[in-house]
Amino acid sequence: MGPLIDLLPLSYTESVVVVGAAVLGVAAGVLGALAVLPRRSLVGDALAHSALPGVAIAFLVTGARDPASLLVGAAIAGLIGAFMMVGIERTSRIRPDAAIGVVLSSFFSLGIVLLTYIGTTGNAQQAGLETYLFGQAAGLLERDVNVMAVIAALSIACVVLALRVIKTTLFDRSFAASVGVPVRVVELATTALLVAAIVIGLRAVGAILMVAMLIVPTVTARQLTHRLGPLLALAGVIGASVGATGALLSSRAEIPTGPVIVLVGTAVAVAAVLLAPGRGVVWRWAHRRRERRSALSSGVLIDLETALHAGPPPTVDELVLASARPRGDVRRGLRALDRAGLIERDDDRLRLSESGAAAAHAALDERRLWSAWLEHGWRLDLGDAREPDPRDLRRTLGDELTDRLLGFDAEAAPS
Amino acid sequence: MAPALDIPALEVAHLTVSYGSTPALWDVDATFPSGAMSAIVGPNGSGKSTLIAAALGLVPSDSGRSTIFGRPAKEAMRRVAYVPQRESVDWDFPITVREVVEMGRYAEAGWLRRISRSDRAIVDGAIERVGMAPYSRRQIGQLSGGQRQRVFIARALAQEADLLVFDEPFAGVDARTEAALLSLLAQLRDREGRSVVMVHHDLQTVRSMVDWVLLLNVRAIACGPVASTMTPDNLRRVYGAADIGAPAAEGAAWVP
Repeated sequence: MGPLIDLLPLSYTESVVVVGAAVLGVAAGVLGALAVLPRRSLVGDALAHSALPGVAIAFLVTGARDPASLLVGAAIAGLIGAFMMVGIERTSRIRPDAAIGVVLSSFFSLGIVLLTYIGTTGNAQQAGLETYLFGQAAGLLERDVNVMAVIAALSIACVVLALRVIKTTLFDRSFAASVGVPVRVVELATTALLVAAIVIGLRAVGAILMVAMLIVPTVTARQLTHRLGPLLALAGVIGASVGATGALLSSRAEIPTGPVIVLVGTAVAVAAVLLAPGRGVVWRWAHRRRERRSALSSGVLIDLETALHAGPPPTVDELVLASARPRGDVRRGLRALDRAGLIERDDDRLRLSESGAAAAHAALDERRLWSAWLEHGWRLDLGDAREPDPRDLRRTLGDELTDRLLGFDAEAAPS
Repeated sequence: MAPALDIPALEVAHLTVSYGSTPALWDVDATFPSGAMSAIVGPNGSGKSTLIAAALGLVPSDSGRSTIFGRPAKEAMRRVAYVPQRESVDWDFPITVREVVEMGRYAEAGWLRRISRSDRAIVDGAIERVGMAPYSRRQIGQLSGGQRQRVFIARALAQEADLLVFDEPFAGVDARTEAALLSLLAQLRDREGRSVVMVHHDLQTVRSMVDWVLLLNVRAIACGPVASTMTPDNLRRVYGAADIGAPAAEGAAWVP
């Protein structure tokens, strides 16, 4: 990672921190998807919490604050936690969420007890162990970052190589088993990869908040793509940028890194959940609103056409009465029609403009076609899986089928 | 047609499966002939899905054995395409129609190598056959129930298996799709000699479309050609007093 660290326009210490946080972000982003997509995000949380006693025990055994041995301890404890969760689920009638809760809280409690005990021993080495709780990227050394990068590269290589197996197992477990995938082995392996991601991030983000780094990139990326490959790549990029930004901010403000990274990540995820095209809350809301408005204005248009057909041009009040819609709705519909130039006002009486009459007839045709489809559609042999769009049947069915459909309708209509 | 019984497509003997202490299947013997369309019929909780899963070795069985085309199930799984219930997967999963169908080729094409041109053609053909070609780039969550089932069936077609096993393929599927898919399955049987075994809940369809039936209620009540097996008497033994869809005119009125 040396050349990359030299490349950044930051001081050496800051560069190390930023590169380290980016590495952990890539790993957490890509590997976190393996927990989030099968709806097992909280397994990641439990694994992160159960790594803590591993750190403490490794320190007690080695008596030194050597990052490598502490992380080996964390990995072993995380794996034990994982096996316990699986074991509790398989052998007892305890549900997965309860198993996760039990493992998470008991391991974490053990970790706190051990850390407190270490604190009382007066070992000069112990200062700084508490950074494994909330994370401290500022203390990262280039050596640590290199180790993190190697683990991250190996883990991600595993995911890339096994992408088809992982995709099939995550999407459809029983199908995967039927074509010979050893699904239990795959599940254990993905859990082990998750532990690797946690070990990479533990020092910089901390046990308590690590889960956010696993979840946020996938949630954000899912808003932007609907394919697994691009999602994993995107999650890696998002994780890296969130990690680097958060680490830089935290080391400048001298706040623990975990919370800052998590806040940055949450901001990104919230923005994606709100704004993403197609899936975003705002987008969907605007879409719904457009749909409602167009339904209303075409309804009012047809009401007006019907009223004109039956008698003299109505006033707004007469139209409200005739259409049996709330007054506000009729007014809003009329305003939209006015803007589109579909109606003309004659003092307080309403008429359709030339384009308005055409639009009304088109809307009526559309309705007739839709009810013809509902009534006779089964008689058309579409030959494929098309499911016509009710608002534009002619385009989705094609002219020929549409004409046949109208033929069925005319046959059935009493002459 | 007269299904050949010499080498059955799927055969289970003395199959017993239990979840906890209650048996889901108890000493079930059943044979499904090759080149035929067969259905497994029974009330809710009668072990239909379990029978399929256990026969294919997907859930452990307490005892019994299962053979596919005369070979132990484990060795013959290459010849089987299994289509689970639609509810068993997460439809919001980031995957497109084409990718799902491609899964049908992985076992054959290798899990690591590039998908070859001929595999690609098989995938295209399968998508085309279920009429999903216009949708192949869609995310699967954007499909209707009927279209989702078409995707699953396309994946089974892509496996080019001799035996297709479906778990409730038409639950929650519109009538138009069900008719289209049933005629596709009939085509597979008639033109290509493939065998189909499905769990089905609609007795009417079973009577009109299927050759062979297993009536199951934890135990195998009867197994054989539809006409001679779906007798009012047998249906009553499977469904108990509940309505069995057999008209009373057949002399099946149940008198307590």
